Amino acid sequence: MPSFSAEVFENEFISEGATDVHAIVSVTCTGAGEAGKGAGGEAAEIIIVDTSGSMLDAKIQAAREAAAVAVDQILDGTWFAIISGTHVASRAFPYPNARLSMVQMEPGARAAAKQAISRFDADGGTAIGSWLRLAAQIFDTVPAATQRHAILLTDGQNQSEKASVFHSAIESVAGRFQCDCRGVGADWAVSELRQVAQALLGTVDLIADPASMAADFENLVRQAMGRGVAEATLRVWAPQGAQVLFVRQVSPTVEDLTSRRVDVNPLTGAFPTGAWGDESRDYHVAVRVAPQPVGQERLAARVQLVVRDEVVSQGLVKARWSGDDALTTRIDPAVAHYTGQAELAEVIQEGLAAKAAGDEATATTKLGRAVALAEQTGNEEATSKLRKVVDIEDAETGTVRLKRGTSKLDEMALDTASTKTTRVKR
Amino acid sequence: MAVNMAALICASCGAETYEGELFCENCGAAVPGTEQTGAEVEAAAAAGADGAAVAAEATATAATQPIEESPLATTCATCGGTSFEDGYCLVCGAPAVRERDHWLERPAGWVAAVCDRGLRHRRNEDAVALSAQSQPGSYAVLVVCDGVSSSMDPDIASLAGARAARDLLIAEPDSGPSVAGRIRHWTDRLTAAAAAANAETVDVARHPTGRPGERENSPPSCTFVAAVIDGPLIVTGWVGDSRAYWFPDAGPAEQLSVDDSWATEQVLAGMPREQAEAAPRAHAITRWLGVDSPDIEPRCTSITRSGPGWLLICSDGLWNYCSEAADLGLLLGQTARAQDGDPARIATELVNWANAQGGMDNISVALARLDAVPAP
Repeated sequence: MPSFSAEVFENEFISEGATDVHAIVSVTCTGAGEAGKGAGGEAAEIIIVDTSGSMLDAKIQAAREAAAVAVDQILDGTWFAIISGTHVASRAFPYPNARLSMVQMEPGARAAAKQAISRFDADGGTAIGSWLRLAAQIFDTVPAATQRHAILLTDGQNQSEKASVFHSAIESVAGRFQCDCRGVGADWAVSELRQVAQALLGTVDLIADPASMAADFENLVRQAMGRGVAEATLRVWAPQGAQVLFVRQVSPTVEDLTSRRVDVNPLTGAFPTGAWGDESRDYHVAVRVAPQPVGQERLAARVQLVVRDEVVSQGLVKARWSGDDALTTRIDPAVAHYTGQAELAEVIQEGLAAKAAGDEATATTKLGRAVALAEQTGNEEATSKLRKVVDIEDAETGTVRLKRGTSKLDEMALDTASTKTTRVKR
Repeated sequence: MAVNMAALICASCGAETYEGELFCENCGAAVPGTEQTGAEVEAAAAAGADGAAVAAEATATAATQPIEESPLATTCATCGGTSFEDGYCLVCGAPAVRERDHWLERPAGWVAAVCDRGLRHRRNEDAVALSAQSQPGSYAVLVVCDGVSSSMDPDIASLAGARAARDLLIAEPDSGPSVAGRIRHWTDRLTAAAAAANAETVDVARHPTGRPGERENSPPSCTFVAAVIDGPLIVTGWVGDSRAYWFPDAGPAEQLSVDDSWATEQVLAGMPREQAEAAPRAHAITRWLGVDSPDIEPRCTSITRSGPGWLLICSDGLWNYCSEAADLGLLLGQTARAQDGDPARIATELVNWANAQGGMDNISVALARLDAVPAP
């Protein structure tokens, strides 16, 4: 039986006249169980592989292996299909002439799927939007499969599709399945895959070396199969007259959920969070309330986790106005940490953009600030990725020099890593 | 009639918490939602439940005087909303206040009182108790007691004391024709009422709630001010620095009581008023009700009013922001005009005004509207 718990970290004391309240709400799920086995309905999994012309040799070989490994991870009983994507999307398994668009995993299907995978060939363009639309159509053929997840692999930019077509495809499939995106090599656009991942509540990452693709796919599918809670929603209530400034997931990755808000009632917004396994996610919630006289207290936000219309956990974010500086000037360590991480993600992306545009001065400043923040918050992954792009003279003050001749891969690695956060050391 | 207000105690850290709160504000532990009734508290103590509750002393008194929770108000004091969850209003997020934190008494259309926690104190240690006949200006009793914060269980003492005094004063009205006789009667009754209130504080001292954080070496104490309206006769008695004022519609505002405070005694001894009132000990009270009180006999004064006006009794939570009778009279007059002369609305507005000035203390305001004296 899955069980959720929520913990709120904040300094509830704010000074006279202050209006903004920040809190970290940490939500933990345990006992999630396996995908499709709980009361939430059945699970479905689609593997989408880029088989465009650029996937030649090592990449298509790696893709075949990775897809096969992924198929091995899919649990018996899970509905699945495989899409090979070029400038058009086609269903590689079940075979194009098969009666069903999806079948449930069992030994025979597994073997047949691997046969189909072994026949992948690299030839054609790239139109990711069409791949997403086909995946959504295929999922729709099995209404019983309420937990829907896909992995999408590409190696290039979305050249066979107009940007407007790509965006409208993303919009039309958003909410219909979750998708984790992977880019192999250095020729794909991080921003394109990030758009897909954000809209489809998934992650985006770089596979630098085709040889590591199989291990990554294995992890992704195993993780998806471990998500026994098909769908959970974060609900945020704020009092009348208050404004929810933002709701951001800050761990394990940084995602701004604010734009995903769906109003439940005038005071409450719902934010989809996708499927959950045994895991913990931290959310940063910021609310602006009308200031009250010193001594007064208000509930600034009620954050609830809802599964199948039932509230399974909640946290209360309070505001207490105080005249005591010793109380109001403290920043909760978790809030400080994640505020730093969000800024870190921002300055990395801005620094890389400035570098690409040739503005070395801005790039140096921004990436220097990134180094300082990563140092302060103990984000070693970010620091080591930053080192590939800048020479660090003094990590604490963020004194850096841009490296000459950095590889595109190193910059992309830094870009994708920017949204991964470290957790607060307790 | 003593009312023991047993607060909810957090099982984890022993801090005081409130009914309806899900999480202890001190340590964050989840608070089980059950009320602590006297019987449960006793049973838990008897069973030696580890840290489950701090037991109020189980005594014969507990059997006769039920321990009640101060119930949560069902209407939000801030926005008027009627739905609460986790102890917070579902519309505006204000914490659900205990009824004791803000209440209104209105025994008749011409007499009302509001008792309020103020902004800075964690609990309301003031109390009011009223009674009145419906005929305006005929008969009423108004009592205010201000619990001494540095004493033990002052909130219990003040409420029990105010009610005991009120109950005694309404028990024996005097309808004799002699004004002097009635002055004597009411003065005696006020003395008995103060004694009855004092007896309540002694009772509270004997049966402490045992709540954590209570000052166990300082017995329950409170001030006392009571006014009886008997036709045109107004008799008032007090112990401490809660005050009675008479504001005639035509004529100078008058403070009827004289504070039993260090500053007042210094002024009487010849110190200039400004100097006395600016001294750090200015507001220390020199008399009060309680086991350790030097003198519980109220000073009394009486007036026979000749015209219409307002009788006001209040705690220092109000007069600290507006001490001079003339100033308070002006404030009352303005407020009365804005509130259409309705005592309940005026008392509420005066409390709001005191909170707007800072609300540093609990605030009690009791008002009676007295119209023209009927021709004999």
